[in-house]
Amino acid sequence: MMEELDLLKKDWKKNENSFEQISEVDIYRMLHKKSSSIVKWILVISVLEVLLWTCISLCFNSDDYLKKNHSEHLIEYFRYLTLFNYAVIAVFIYLFYKNYASISTTTSTKKLMGAILRTRKTVQFYVWYNLGMMAISMIIGFILAFNIDPEVHKVIENQKVFIITVLICFFSLVIFLVLFWLFYRLIYGVLMRRLLNNYKELKKIDL
Amino acid sequence: MSASLEQSFVTQLKENQNIIHKICRLYTSDGDAHKDLFQEITIQLWKAFPKFRGESKFSTWAYRVALNTAITLYRKSTRSVKTVEYEKHSFFISQEDYNSDEEEQIKLMYKAVYQLNDIEKALIFMYLEDKDYTEISETLGITEVNARVKMNRIKGKLKKILNP
Repeated sequence: MMEELDLLKKDWKKNENSFEQISEVDIYRMLHKKSSSIVKWILVISVLEVLLWTCISLCFNSDDYLKKNHSEHLIEYFRYLTLFNYAVIAVFIYLFYKNYASISTTTSTKKLMGAILRTRKTVQFYVWYNLGMMAISMIIGFILAFNIDPEVHKVIENQKVFIITVLICFFSLVIFLVLFWLFYRLIYGVLMRRLLNNYKELKKIDL
Repeated sequence: MSASLEQSFVTQLKENQNIIHKICRLYTSDGDAHKDLFQEITIQLWKAFPKFRGESKFSTWAYRVALNTAITLYRKSTRSVKTVEYEKHSFFISQEDYNSDEEEQIKLMYKAVYQLNDIEKALIFMYLEDKDYTEISETLGITEVNARVKMNRIKGKLKKILNP
């Protein structure tokens, strides 16, 4: 048996340096891979979200509603608002992409920690922006309905009914926002927590 | 200070990467699995690095952490390393300098080693690395006597596999 083992050892030693060598950059990349995959998910989810909203807005086109109520002049404003919204979201997606790129290529813990904090902040801004935009567009929607829709006009002539309607609108707005806030917490919250854990881990190493 | 810690880790790992490669060679059966295990070991080493105070050599410490990672992962995975997959490893054997008899024997030996379990592989690995029993026992966290007994059993097992 010893003879065979010695033979094996001889071969083992012979092949000792036959491995494809891994560079320092590769090693850095391995160390940071966890964060970069989380940030990649943030990027993917944000893009999917935009696609989802686009689909929904294609299904529920407000132009017809405005035309029906003889307010064609408003269509243009809505178009500007939509364009503005897409521009801002495009900027966010670009920022997510930049964060992803910087996290997956960075070669120092310090910079990685900075990038993780930046990503978290970007996500927070993104969520607040989306919630804000949602609130604003709902409020605009309500005000428009009150002002231009003759059917709504008829109903709210009575002051009591008007106040009740406003209250209902207000509460549905709040409920809607809370639901979306929870939705965002669920999706991004998980990723953000993981990112924070990575950050803490790095900080521990980084005494 | 912190950046230099990471820098020193990366430099030392790069210099000692063959240790990890060799462990991957024993515990995995193809290139992708090799890369995965290499990465996992790297991450585990990095996590354990703050506790490495330089009391021992980096390589000695790396042997311990890397082997433990391989053993743990190997246990979790569904023992997918089968003898058939050994063929993929034939690149280990260099073409020159061997007469075909020797070559055949080495092939059979590798094949037999692949049938060992996680701990046994670790012992064989340490043996192939020319480590003495003191080092083996320290690295694997067993007593020296236990290491000797285990090693003898492994030799018996290999013999049985080779001459059924």
